[in-house]
Amino acid sequence: MDVAVRRRPSGWTVAGIAVAAAVLAPLLVLPASFLGQGEALDQIAGSLLPEALRASLVLAAGVGVGTLLLGGSLAALVSFYDFPGRRWLDWALVLPLAMPAYVLVYVLLGQYDGSGPFGGRLPEIRSTGGTIAVLTAVLYPYVYVLARGAFLGQSRQALEAARTLGLSYGAAVRRVALPLARPALAGGVALAVMEALADFGAVNLLNYRALTDAIYRVWYGTFDQAAALQLATVLVTLAATLVALEHFARGRARYHQALGRGEAVLPRRLRGPVAWLAPALPALLLLAAVVAPIAQLLAWAIGSLGEGASAEALARAAVNSLLLASVAAVVAVIAATVVAYAPRAQPSRLAGGFGRASALGYAVPGTVVAVAVYVPLAWLDARLDDLAGVGLLLTGTAVGLVLAYVVRFHALALFSVQGRMARISPSLDEAARSLGADRSRLLADVHLPLLWPGIAIAALLVFVEVVKELPATALLRPLGGDTLAIAVWEATKDSRFDTAALPALMIVAVGLVPVVLAIRLSRVGGFDGG
Amino acid sequence: MRWTRKRLGLVAAGVAVVIAGLAAAAFALSGSADVVVYNGRSQYGDEQAFKAFKDRTGLKVELRGGTAPELFERLRREGDRTDADLLVTTDLANLWRAEEAGLLQPVDTPRLEQQVPAALHDPAGAWWGLSTRIRTPMRSTERVPADAVRSYADLGDPRFKGRLCLRTSNNEYNQSFVADSIAKHGEAQTEKLLRSWMANDPQILGSDVDVLDAIAADRCDVGLTNHYYLGRKLKDDPDFPVAPAWPSAGAHLNLSGAGVVKGSEHRANAVRLLEFLTGRQAQEEIVENSEFAANPDVPPAEHIREWADVKTDPIDVERAGPSLQAAVALMQRVGWT
Repeated sequence: MDVAVRRRPSGWTVAGIAVAAAVLAPLLVLPASFLGQGEALDQIAGSLLPEALRASLVLAAGVGVGTLLLGGSLAALVSFYDFPGRRWLDWALVLPLAMPAYVLVYVLLGQYDGSGPFGGRLPEIRSTGGTIAVLTAVLYPYVYVLARGAFLGQSRQALEAARTLGLSYGAAVRRVALPLARPALAGGVALAVMEALADFGAVNLLNYRALTDAIYRVWYGTFDQAAALQLATVLVTLAATLVALEHFARGRARYHQALGRGEAVLPRRLRGPVAWLAPALPALLLLAAVVAPIAQLLAWAIGSLGEGASAEALARAAVNSLLLASVAAVVAVIAATVVAYAPRAQPSRLAGGFGRASALGYAVPGTVVAVAVYVPLAWLDARLDDLAGVGLLLTGTAVGLVLAYVVRFHALALFSVQGRMARISPSLDEAARSLGADRSRLLADVHLPLLWPGIAIAALLVFVEVVKELPATALLRPLGGDTLAIAVWEATKDSRFDTAALPALMIVAVGLVPVVLAIRLSRVGGFDGG
Repeated sequence: MRWTRKRLGLVAAGVAVVIAGLAAAAFALSGSADVVVYNGRSQYGDEQAFKAFKDRTGLKVELRGGTAPELFERLRREGDRTDADLLVTTDLANLWRAEEAGLLQPVDTPRLEQQVPAALHDPAGAWWGLSTRIRTPMRSTERVPADAVRSYADLGDPRFKGRLCLRTSNNEYNQSFVADSIAKHGEAQTEKLLRSWMANDPQILGSDVDVLDAIAADRCDVGLTNHYYLGRKLKDDPDFPVAPAWPSAGAHLNLSGAGVVKGSEHRANAVRLLEFLTGRQAQEEIVENSEFAANPDVPPAEHIREWADVKTDPIDVERAGPSLQAAVALMQRVGWT
């Protein structure tokens, strides 16, 4: 009889839509930047755009190919061959994910430049090839993890059938197993390329003029906000195209699951010198991308402690980072819970649609989010001050920055909470409602107690991402409010390498937490195929 | 773990306590200040001077660092609502830009007049010089003879193809240099100069220190940097294999300076700080840093004493300031990254 009786929307529906709209609203500013002057690009944006667009596309293509080859072949190696150290490499190959690209660049530049141990003897990394290599080294785990999961889901029978048809083992892996994993490979590459397009720290420090860097240069070089917004719109269009492409490619290719039955593949044991070469190459990669940089950071950190590094500046940066990250985590978790619960409290197509759309921010680079959040807030700020004389409440303080974080990382929190909520049976809701609980009571007494692992993970993910975040922070930070990420970036720009070692170490340590947790969780779930 | 409403409340309270604690710590670390400085100079160079000011006067200084454009953008946005009392920049064009936007107020005291020569401050007193610095070609003493570089144009000599090192074009020293050249020699002439540099496929590095290190490490033969970066290198290592190549027509001279912010709530303290920064004690530290003091009573550092006598071409800020935008666009156009 629901059809006949149109109920008034509940408070939860309204709240869910309102929160989702608040998260989504800044992004609507972007296309509006073209309205002021018709379709035409601002002169500055027009002169910067061709080069920046080309640079971003080259970067995307390079990182796409690089991560596909590196992540795909590493996943195949670990999945289909057995060799000494395989179990260890299986999880260790995920570790570069904990290394923000700008931290790796910071270490490499420190070693490369004059006074470093390699003073001038390494290949130039301030180049297109160098930029692609650095980003590939930290982003390939996206492809690796997804491809590894897909290979684990494949059955032994498919491979054996190929062999009875006369293919060698290697050829069977190449011609059967790899094509079957295509959806996973494409998904991993799409994630890696999106991260590459969004990267600001690495391209800025390496002088690579990608779109994110162009936006920053326009913002502070010419103070032309319209131009910055227009460049941001181009970048976000690129990211959206990528999401659509990936969605399209995956939509037609779900066959890997149909073959997921049967016994798992038994890795073939390698013999002779190859058995030692197989672990040696990945180990070298890990040495270069994780072990050596951390060792170098430790060495610099100890050196700077000896020289009595500015403890006060470090404490300020650490406190600022932790404060911003905890506030953003709390706000993001509350927002995610409201948005996730609204369609549950009362089914509403509108609330559901807004909820899904509010996750878009994650596909939007931090630089763009910052620009998009700033413009409406600045307008609101001026109005507020005229009304109440409260000063610059939003843009002069960390409020704008926290909002940018929430917009950017809302999806992380939302997916964690939604994933958990989907496991709560609707019959529980009905039982509670029939016992007289209203919707708020249902959330507090039934859902929240069951949701807490999802909420905890959501908070952790947002917290860690905020500590690592650089591009939005670089644009919106309150003066004097340096964070750990800013400290690393500033010091690298000025070639003061040892002063940023401690902040960089702290960032890497925080970044390791979710990676290690994910590895542990997946091992419990049989990730290593044992 | 069972979750009751009580436990939920406890967790919420716990999170609130942690955040309140962090906020309190952040507040305690920033504290309340008697004078707030928007500081464009390197965060590490000048801290000592501000500490000495506190020891002398008991006034607490809060430094808020950022690049000059960041500080300008912030000041412009804050207008009369700003917390800032004093704006310190590393180059004159940025002070000019702030003055032009009406963000600075004139101040004048007998002590300032006595400590800063007339050529190094705004006639109306909107900005006061702290130090002067020369932006000059640098050459390798091992591979480039002393007479090979006698002008900025010589950096465009084809003999330095692939052997020229420059800092990025978004650096304010480079922008001021180009703006001053546009003001004095016209845009066409300046474009010719920059195009000759770009024809040498310069390596674009992140800082002046990188440029000097690259020359020393045989990755470049010549470059363009401020003089004090080399001064610091030579102080640590008198055999550092790089030397300035002073342009015979005069070397580009820029100014690091400060001005009192219009919306300042602590004007008297800001003026006191300005007097202190141009006074003997603070100026000696600037000299320590291999810059040239604005205060004529403080002689240059011993190891670069003769550099103070080279022929200079001081920036003409009244004309260079308005050319800043054109300079940024020109550097973009010729492909200086």
